[in-house]
Amino acid sequence: MELLIASGKGGVGKSTVTGSLISILSKSHKIAAVDADAEAPNLHLILGTREWDRVTEFSAAKTAYIKENCTNCGLCRDICVYEAIYKKNKIHHIKQYLCEGCGACKAICPVDAIEIIDTISGWLKVGNTKYGPLVSAELDVGKPNSGKLVTEERNIAREWVKKGKAEHIIIDAAAGIGCQVIASISGVNLAILIAEPTPSSVSDLQRMYHLSKHFGVNTKIIINKGGINPHYHGLENFAKENHIEIIGTIPYDSRVPKALTSLKPLVEFAPESNASVAIKNIAKKIEEWL
Amino acid sequence: MKITVTGGKGGTGKSTVATNLAWALSQKHHVVLVDADVECPDDHILLNTQLRKEEEVKLFKPKFDYEKCTACGICVQSCSESALVKFKEGYPFLMPTLCSGCFTCKLVCPVKGAIMDDSRRVGYTYHVKINDNLELVTGMLAEGEERSYPTVLAVRRRAMKITSSIHLFDTMPGTGNHVAAAIENSKIVLAVSEPTPLGEHDLEMIMNLLDKLKLKAWIVVNRSNIGNTDKHYKIAKKYGAEIIAEIPMYDEIMKSYVAGEPVMKRYPNSKIARVFEDIAKRIEEVL
Repeated sequence: MELLIASGKGGVGKSTVTGSLISILSKSHKIAAVDADAEAPNLHLILGTREWDRVTEFSAAKTAYIKENCTNCGLCRDICVYEAIYKKNKIHHIKQYLCEGCGACKAICPVDAIEIIDTISGWLKVGNTKYGPLVSAELDVGKPNSGKLVTEERNIAREWVKKGKAEHIIIDAAAGIGCQVIASISGVNLAILIAEPTPSSVSDLQRMYHLSKHFGVNTKIIINKGGINPHYHGLENFAKENHIEIIGTIPYDSRVPKALTSLKPLVEFAPESNASVAIKNIAKKIEEWL
Repeated sequence: MKITVTGGKGGTGKSTVATNLAWALSQKHHVVLVDADVECPDDHILLNTQLRKEEEVKLFKPKFDYEKCTACGICVQSCSESALVKFKEGYPFLMPTLCSGCFTCKLVCPVKGAIMDDSRRVGYTYHVKINDNLELVTGMLAEGEERSYPTVLAVRRRAMKITSSIHLFDTMPGTGNHVAAAIENSKIVLAVSEPTPLGEHDLEMIMNLLDKLKLKAWIVVNRSNIGNTDKHYKIAKKYGAEIIAEIPMYDEIMKSYVAGEPVMKRYPNSKIARVFEDIAKRIEEVL
């Protein structure tokens, strides 16, 4: 089974919950962990990974270069939908941190002064945690297509399942609803959406829920930081209106940051805490679906 | 002047800082707050306002005239996104969601008129006047759409058309080119982080991006009392950045967050309001 933890909004506790769920579920199942946030990868910190077994360059990206025979006619600058080409002191330059390597500049250039070359888009990292195999990725900053890194990560995890190294895959999604999240959600069996009881989180949850529906993925909700907002019921109301099951409420726990600093999942750092108890109950439910 | 609030990690308080700074600065200056977190824009929620004056963000997409198309396949080969598909002798067709709207197919097509201009909607932008001195321009990616970059560019264009002394950008989390597009050409960049290993890790990534953009950052350590900030000072030193504020967790922040009002407005005499006023003063020195 492939399980996705997502939220839309960042910082609501995706990696914290994912880390603890992996800690619990890996006791009775072989779990492969996928950190699907190549722009801000953090799951390895929670799973206590200090070294990677393998780091490989991943070059799914291309980028344009202007050669010396450029006549500075400006056609490339006008055609670039990414607004990545600019003129300074009558000379044209390409901002590599914006270029997507689409090739329109090369196609329009009348003097063949543009070259499209392969470039590193990031790195794929594979390691073993005490809970099982982990695949992570890191985007080379400013590069496009972090979604392609995520797709490659999922391929690696699926390979582990094929080889019997893992039975189930748990994916920790990026914030947002863009390419990384779309690359994470397609084809998963279940998406667990984490939200905190604030209007912003509910607004982002709503967008994330629509995305899940768009991809036909079954959805459940976990409320995190429960109790920070006792008079706000927008989250429960949203779940009710859309008939989405809330599989647990994790109370706000001031020990979470300390658990993060200890580089241990919360359920190991503070096993008796109310938050850990809630996560354990959620894990029990998930176990039934595995 | 362009100011940007970013941070790498999600949920560190970018929007809280952006909306409050916008409020503080708007006491003396005209401010356009630009919500460039187009995947999950929340600034309008924190300011408790409805998004208005919707405009669609449209991208070019190719439309084939199969009377003219010779099925040569050159467009298919040129498409860097593999958005054009062609089976053997058949005509090419488009997988719209993969198309980045780059025009390359149309440019390389050897037959005039075989590829025509069509468009598709990938997002929306909005413009709201909060008060005489504060306007909000928000970008919102259409749900199911992968590329946030064009919508970031669109919201940037719409916002920069408005004459104002301050354009204050609030970016997405992350470090990709959709974040770079929101940050570039900023006079001041504020990186909002939190003192956890996750915050430290992602702060370092955003510092790398800022290095590439040749920009120096002011670091805001949010929730500064939840952990040790030593590592943040080390990172700041390494990248020649300055930590300009540490913001502990205050009840007022969460209360205003939920009420949809900036702390500056709801609790103008609070300690936390002072912190934002101080940052605003630092910004005014640069203005």
